[in-house]
Amino acid sequence: MHLRPDELIDLAEGTRAESSAAHLAECAVCRLQVAELKAMMSAAADVDVPEPSPLFWDHFSARVRQAVDAEGAPRRSFWAWPRVVIPAISVATAVLAVAVTLNWGRADPGIAPLPSVAPAPVALPVASADLLADPQSAGDTALTLVAELSSDMDFETAREAGLAARGSAEHAVTHLAGSELRELQRLLQEELARSGA
Amino acid sequence: MRPVEPGLADLDERALVEACLRGQSAAFDVIVERHRRSVYLLCYRFVSNHEDASDLSQDVFLRAYRGLRSFRGQSSLATWLYRIGVNVCLNRLSAKKPLSESIADRQFVDETAESATDRLLKDERGARVRAAIAQLPRKQRATLVLRMYHEMSHQEIADVLGSSVGAVKANFFHALSNLKKMLGGEVL
Repeated sequence: MHLRPDELIDLAEGTRAESSAAHLAECAVCRLQVAELKAMMSAAADVDVPEPSPLFWDHFSARVRQAVDAEGAPRRSFWAWPRVVIPAISVATAVLAVAVTLNWGRADPGIAPLPSVAPAPVALPVASADLLADPQSAGDTALTLVAELSSDMDFETAREAGLAARGSAEHAVTHLAGSELRELQRLLQEELARSGA
Repeated sequence: MRPVEPGLADLDERALVEACLRGQSAAFDVIVERHRRSVYLLCYRFVSNHEDASDLSQDVFLRAYRGLRSFRGQSSLATWLYRIGVNVCLNRLSAKKPLSESIADRQFVDETAESATDRLLKDERGARVRAAIAQLPRKQRATLVLRMYHEMSHQEIADVLGSSVGAVKANFFHALSNLKKMLGGEVL
């Protein structure tokens, strides 16, 4: 049985003494392989890389600098992301849970309909009214429109309708970036203005 | 070329990285200047042509800059850049067929005390070996380059390539055997 490739490499590199491989003394094939490996290593080691022109390095540094300048400041490291993402996910989850809970209340026949909130013509659940009463969102007509549109839909209906499923509009909305959300808000406001609301 | 700020040129690696992270982009110029040649040589060994080696080297530094915050100083900056370089080159090798070396790539040769004839023969032989290395499968090529030209241990190569020491040795064996087949006895 001949020597394995890793054994031949160890012998050719000299990390293992040839005298320690008894097989080598009696096997011409393995001895030839070790000799050829040594010869190829020697041939490969003797290969230089052509040096680029001295002018190349200045040009190279300038190109790298240009690319780096276009890049801006070094990005946040991978390990730093959880410090940002986890709180953001927690907030988003909390908001989603509140929204689902509010609509769940609407599905309960034991809960009486709540008085409507001006200027919305459709009756809103109390929690939605509370939301609109928030000083920061009270004047937000886009939010009012969304609240109105969703006020008649209970949780079961939403679930049966497949809302928030991956690929749905709701799923897309909850995953929008800040700039995309601002654009959505602009479109909603345009729509409100057009309809005279 | 923008002149290197006097204070920056004397900083050690860690201080340079910190200066970069504070927004001193000139500090990154110093890093590039210190390591551009070794990164270029690494890339050249993988692709065997100046054009691709230059593009890949630029990519290595750009990726390094993007990931500078993740450099923790556990290894030297050179080793860190080196790992990025190997990954960039391996990705390129998997995406692109190896290119043969052009005549133009051989023109900038450092003339030494060797005679012109000896130099010419050595260059010709070197070009044949480089062309043969460029034809090796990517893992064999990576193993051979890292082992032969960058003196990495089998374990270090295994870490970079995500394989075992045994696999690295086997790849090295097959790389050398394939070189022998491609070159025949011409360089022996």
